[in-house]
Amino acid sequence: MIFGMNEELHIKLQAFLDGELPEAEAREVGSLIASDADAAALHRELKQTRAALAGFEKRITVPETREFYWSKIAREIAREAAPRVADPQHSVFSFWRRLFPVAGVVAALLAALVVINRYDPRSPVGIEVAQADSDAFTYRDYEAGTTLVWLSYPAENGLAQENTAGKIN
Amino acid sequence: MPSNLNHSSLEDPALVKAAQKGDMLAFEELVARHRDKIYARCYTMMHSEDAALDVSQEAWVKAWQRLAQFQGDSTFTTWITRITINVCLDQLRKNKRQRAESIEELNEEAGGVERLMPVVTVNPTERLERGELRQKIDAALGKLSDEHRTVLVLHEFQEMEYKEIAKTVGCSIGTVMSRLFYARRKLAALLAELRNAE
Repeated sequence: MIFGMNEELHIKLQAFLDGELPEAEAREVGSLIASDADAAALHRELKQTRAALAGFEKRITVPETREFYWSKIAREIAREAAPRVADPQHSVFSFWRRLFPVAGVVAALLAALVVINRYDPRSPVGIEVAQADSDAFTYRDYEAGTTLVWLSYPAENGLAQENTAGKIN
Repeated sequence: MPSNLNHSSLEDPALVKAAQKGDMLAFEELVARHRDKIYARCYTMMHSEDAALDVSQEAWVKAWQRLAQFQGDSTFTTWITRITINVCLDQLRKNKRQRAESIEELNEEAGGVERLMPVVTVNPTERLERGELRQKIDAALGKLSDEHRTVLVLHEFQEMEYKEIAKTVGCSIGTVMSRLFYARRKLAALLAELRNAE
């Protein structure tokens, strides 16, 4: 048993085995091993374990053919060497893409303006203006039999598309 | 780059020089020559065949990218093995971040568990055939935590000194010594268990 020894001594025994102790300390530990049964037993165990490992790394071979193994390396080398495509999030196009929803809202406001200007409160003919959700704006003139739908692009959800399909006559 | 060299007949230094000039066929020959050794080292560190395959290939890609830095101060095998070890360590760190540490590992890190293990008095590897011993050691290594296996592999198979291991792994020499001590004690106990189980 090694309970009688402290951790520092364990580590010193191991360092002695690995030839990592300064000469003076190595002499001290060597004497201890010669005189202390616990120290000698632990030293022996560490030595046996080290000897068991020496030269016994598992012999294992690549489970793929030379060509296949190399092809994956070559592909990765080529991929890494290829000039990187600009990150779409930081491209010039992304700026314009961000403007699409704004453009949709502007179109909707313009449509509303047209409706207000043409609205005649005396007329019994129905004119319906509706904003189904944030993605679609509908103007329906029953008299003229026309329906206009402004969509913000890109549509944020499937609902806008469904509404659009349902309202166009 | 097209090449008329007969690569298989060239020594490593000549292949390295050719590869440094962009000769991919020379590099492929180097891969073919050393791939098993590199794969085996990856396997010993990762203890998974799939992971070993991935990291070994990643190591070769890194080697190609850093080939210009290779000055020939060591052998090509030593150089690529160092790159491989670093790739393995990076992957092990990523793995560690992805999983919660087990209580056992926390105990191991805290130290003290190894002091409670009785000394193995009989040589557990005695009378074992080489193939059998290799299998038992492999099984026992697989039961160690990544941290302990790494230190053991670097010391026993890569023959690194404590200071070198500390630098490679990025920890103190004290931690290296403590991990190595635990790993050896645990391995001794596991080998004894495996022998008794027969």
